[in-house]
Amino acid sequence: MEKVSIPILKSGDYLITSPQVTLHDKMAVQFKSDILQKIVETKAKGLVLDVSAIDVVDSFLVRVIGEIATAASIMGAQVVMVGLRPAVAMTLVEMGFSLEGVHTALDLEKGLELLRKAGKR
Amino acid sequence: MSKVNVQDLARELSSRLEQNADEVRSQWIKEMQQVGLLAALSPKEIEEQSKAIYDACVLCLKTGSYEGAERYAANMAKKGVLEAMTVDQIIAGLLILRDVYGGFIFQWYHKDPAKWHATIEIYQPVARKILNIVATSFVAERESVIKQQQKAIMKLSTPLVEVWEGIVMLPLIGTLDSARARQLTESVLNYIAQAKAGTVVVDISGIAAVDTKAASHILRSIQAIKLMGSDAIITGIRPDVATTLVTLGVDLSGIVTRSTLREGLEYAYAKLGLKMTKSSTT
Repeated sequence: MEKVSIPILKSGDYLITSPQVTLHDKMAVQFKSDILQKIVETKAKGLVLDVSAIDVVDSFLVRVIGEIATAASIMGAQVVMVGLRPAVAMTLVEMGFSLEGVHTALDLEKGLELLRKAGKR
Repeated sequence: MSKVNVQDLARELSSRLEQNADEVRSQWIKEMQQVGLLAALSPKEIEEQSKAIYDACVLCLKTGSYEGAERYAANMAKKGVLEAMTVDQIIAGLLILRDVYGGFIFQWYHKDPAKWHATIEIYQPVARKILNIVATSFVAERESVIKQQQKAIMKLSTPLVEVWEGIVMLPLIGTLDSARARQLTESVLNYIAQAKAGTVVVDISGIAAVDTKAASHILRSIQAIKLMGSDAIITGIRPDVATTLVTLGVDLSGIVTRSTLREGLEYAYAKLGLKMTKSSTT
């Protein structure tokens, strides 16, 4: 299978990434290590994870996102998840998942704003 | 015993019913009037409706197709639900029509038992089918009315009010069951996504009683709102509700609560850097 990597863009002190395909288990793990690597390389202070294109979130992906957030914050970068779809949010809550340690915002703009505010504190 | 051709007989029966339409119909109306079924209708209505029903029945017998009857029954159901005739009255009327037909069939054919028997065989399934169609269309009509009303109630039960740019108020009223909670969460989330509302003020002062279920529904909605990246505040927790929540061991940590809607709105404004002050000019 061809390896597809998800672009992680740098803008100022922050990283922005927006997966446009459904993340399968293998891909999600690869995505996690890519992000953490990129945080080390760029010394980013925050990461905005835009999930607005994702319409299927399973328990594994929830765990991976949680791990990304925890690992990133240990490395000094805050993670903000933005653009979660209403249906996905409902499914997550119904399944009993809570993404503790992951900040959320409505969209990319608000996510960046949140990171900026957090940085000032 | 002479062999009876079913198709010929059906044709004969329907043409007899057509030819003697007035006689049969007036007999039918008379019998209905005797049991007081038509009290609510005007003579003109009786004339029109009975003719239409009679013709529809004869048409079914003649063609073996029930489309006309179905259309008529659906139409009648729509009217009947609104007007004076109840379902049982209409079905009683049709049962009388069946008996009247039976009586005339006896009159016409009783001299030839084989033919009489065959006629009954033809006519009975048609009568059954027509009654079935009528009953079904009434049930279907009722159901569609109920569904419409349910939809209307559902819509009424999630009044999302935009108080300020980015602040939405959701006053909850009545009882919270799973179906309503789900619908509520869904519409709130969709609203948030579409209007980019950063703060949702949930006022629960109108909730009749908060039990474990209702509390968990509210908490879930708030979790979902937070996942979307918006902030939720609960306001209007009455003393008894607060006591219940504590007794139930509901964990409200991490959720902003304010005693009144007013304070909740103040909090929401403060988050946007706004403040309500009295204008100095007045």
